[in-house]
Amino acid sequence: MKKFLLNSVLFSLSATIGYCLLIIVWGEIFLHNERPNLIYRRAGYGHTLSRLNDAKVVNHTKVLFLGSSHAYRGFDVRYMHRQKINAFNLGTSAQTAEVTEVLLNRYLDSIKPKLVIIEVAPTVFNLDGVEAALDVLANDTIDLNAAKLAVRVNNLRVYNTLIYAYYRGLRNRDSKVVEKKIKGRDTYRKNGYVERKVTYFKKKSYSPRKYTFRDDQLAALNRIISKLKRRDLPYILVQAPVTRGIYERYTNRQEFESMIKEMGPYYDFNKLVKLDDSLHFYDAFHLNQQGVEIFNQKLIHTLRLDTVR
Amino acid sequence: MLFNSIDFAIFLPLVFMAYWLIPARHIRAQNILIVLASYVFYGWWDWRFLSLIVFSTIVDYVVGRRLGQENRPGRRKFLLWVSIAVNLGFLGFFKYYNFFVENFVEAFSFFGQPIQADLLHIILPVGISFYTFQTLSYTIDVYRRKLEPTNNFIAFTAFVSFFPQLVAGPIERATHLLPQFYKKRIFKYDLAADGMRQILWGLFKKMVIADNCAGYVNMIFSNPESHSGSMLVLGAVLFAFQIYGDFSGYSDIAIGTARLFGFDLMKNFAFPYFSRDIAEFWRRWHISLSTWFRDYLYIPLGGSRGSMANQIRNVFIIFIVSGFWHGANWTFIAWGALNALYFLPLLLLNRNRSNLDTIAENSFFPTFRELMGMLLTFGVTVLAWVFFRAESIAHAWEYLGGIFTESLFTIPEIMNFKQLDVLLKLLLLFLLVEWYGRKTEFAIQKFATWPKLFRWPAYIFIIFLIGMYAQTEETPFIYFQF
Repeated sequence: MKKFLLNSVLFSLSATIGYCLLIIVWGEIFLHNERPNLIYRRAGYGHTLSRLNDAKVVNHTKVLFLGSSHAYRGFDVRYMHRQKINAFNLGTSAQTAEVTEVLLNRYLDSIKPKLVIIEVAPTVFNLDGVEAALDVLANDTIDLNAAKLAVRVNNLRVYNTLIYAYYRGLRNRDSKVVEKKIKGRDTYRKNGYVERKVTYFKKKSYSPRKYTFRDDQLAALNRIISKLKRRDLPYILVQAPVTRGIYERYTNRQEFESMIKEMGPYYDFNKLVKLDDSLHFYDAFHLNQQGVEIFNQKLIHTLRLDTVR
Repeated sequence: MLFNSIDFAIFLPLVFMAYWLIPARHIRAQNILIVLASYVFYGWWDWRFLSLIVFSTIVDYVVGRRLGQENRPGRRKFLLWVSIAVNLGFLGFFKYYNFFVENFVEAFSFFGQPIQADLLHIILPVGISFYTFQTLSYTIDVYRRKLEPTNNFIAFTAFVSFFPQLVAGPIERATHLLPQFYKKRIFKYDLAADGMRQILWGLFKKMVIADNCAGYVNMIFSNPESHSGSMLVLGAVLFAFQIYGDFSGYSDIAIGTARLFGFDLMKNFAFPYFSRDIAEFWRRWHISLSTWFRDYLYIPLGGSRGSMANQIRNVFIIFIVSGFWHGANWTFIAWGALNALYFLPLLLLNRNRSNLDTIAENSFFPTFRELMGMLLTFGVTVLAWVFFRAESIAHAWEYLGGIFTESLFTIPEIMNFKQLDVLLKLLLLFLLVEWYGRKTEFAIQKFATWPKLFRWPAYIFIIFLIGMYAQTEETPFIYFQF
């Protein structure tokens, strides 16, 4: 038995080292489609790299936005700037509460906002967080927070990408990677916003559905709120507008609303702003620039963002 | 609890450590631990169905004891039928009730006598087909006086519920497994290391081969009309690998896990796709079920004795019943009947036992004749799998109809399917390793003879392939539904 246990420990150590080396070899040699569980896309979709690079140098920000693509495509910091509101948008693709937590831990001290606005998209509460974690791991530094995130998401792809991203960070392999400002129809704007060329959405009807919420995501949101409270930092929870078709397809909206309301001040802008599915959206979930401006005007007015000191 | 889950990865080492911390002389304590662990393992899925296992255990234990005391043939037969009725009664209710009701309703409607009958929302308890057959083997063997009835209730309970093989086999015979619960188990390094090897290969088969095939198989089978004949063939071939990887992978993990606890379970698969004829295939596929039906159904029916007509009847009965065991659907019956048809020429020509050794026994490469036999056997097996996988007989015909068209001779549209080329490379690697190890119990058993310098990197590479190519969502084993 002793021999078996000793060999098991030795083998586990060798396997860990061997596994990491093979991940690196695979990452260096094979193309994305040949390594399905290693998804390392630096400067990939959503301009996360540019946003996080901006986040590293930004300071004196009054309002910090967090959340999914609804956030980085919905809160136009240029528009706010014109209204004399200094804001930064730290949204990332499919950002779950667990990823929000990691970003807050990393950037809250340097950004030093006076108000934090967390975009809460009900559908994101049912995500496993893999997509969001991969995005952040590939585009940001690998530290203990990143490792904790990987353990929380607990997915092979995330672990593999964590190992590979750590290696690339160690070897400084990505220092010369520059993200294009314009990608397809998206243009990155300073301080986190991504502007989509104005296109229109063709209205659709959807069969009814129900939101489902993962306990781990709700727990992460609670941890974020506790952290903000501990720091005496005001926060607001916001649901950004989606098309009527999508909004109304979910029959348990009320359940979500009452759950979120218990966590703090909450505004559902689907109720507060009047938008047209075709004119103001480019797809079922995202506003086009015309829609963004109407939404942002209402947001500033409703939340009194101009009074944030 | 799934073998390919984090839960099991925590559960197994804990039970393993606790088990070997108990001194070997305390066999009873070790057996109690096995029972508790097995009930936790099963209850993880749905604790309510534990009651079925407990009830079945008690009935068969009591019947066995009474059979040991009873000498009157009539009474003995009655006791045997009690056990059969309870076990098959559970199986019949949970697995076949709705099937029979549906078919009765359809049959009466067909003859112009429509009747009303309600279907029940029945959840099929995981593993019921496996453990009922295992306990039945005990009662039948005691009835036949091949086995002494046990008076050790704990050992018997451990035999019925032994967690490595509780939910999907191998279906053990009481004569083989039960005595192992009476004996002192001593930790043997080589046995445990072999167990670990087998678990590793089983996980590779399940998580890399079977689960990756599953996605493409589902896509192709759900929409046969939109694929070319050659692509449908590829879909059926992928299903052949999916079902093999899934079920033999499970068996490998089960046997390997049992080895960690000092138990020897029977072999369930012996490289069936390297068979040279269909008879050999059935000696190598799901061996524990085939031999169960052989011992408890085929031989009592007369087996290969008697007139040719009787032999043919017996072959059809055993294949059809074996098909029906898999599920309450006509597709499984058709699958069984088709295999009986495949078997028939061999029976008529008296060549059903002509390939008893291993293919390419004394060389690395097969002879041309062996290769042709192997390809033909694989080909007809793949066609039969279409019935096994199809939702209904009509679906199977639609699929087969799609294969036999002009488009059969076109190049399959592989590039339309993301990463299918990667899977095909993995399948090639898998086949090479299986071929290399075809004369052993499981493919990588032969690695044990390699020096550590090569052996360990090989294991690490397999672990890496699992990490890199496994599906990231836990998927249950196909045979759980049976």
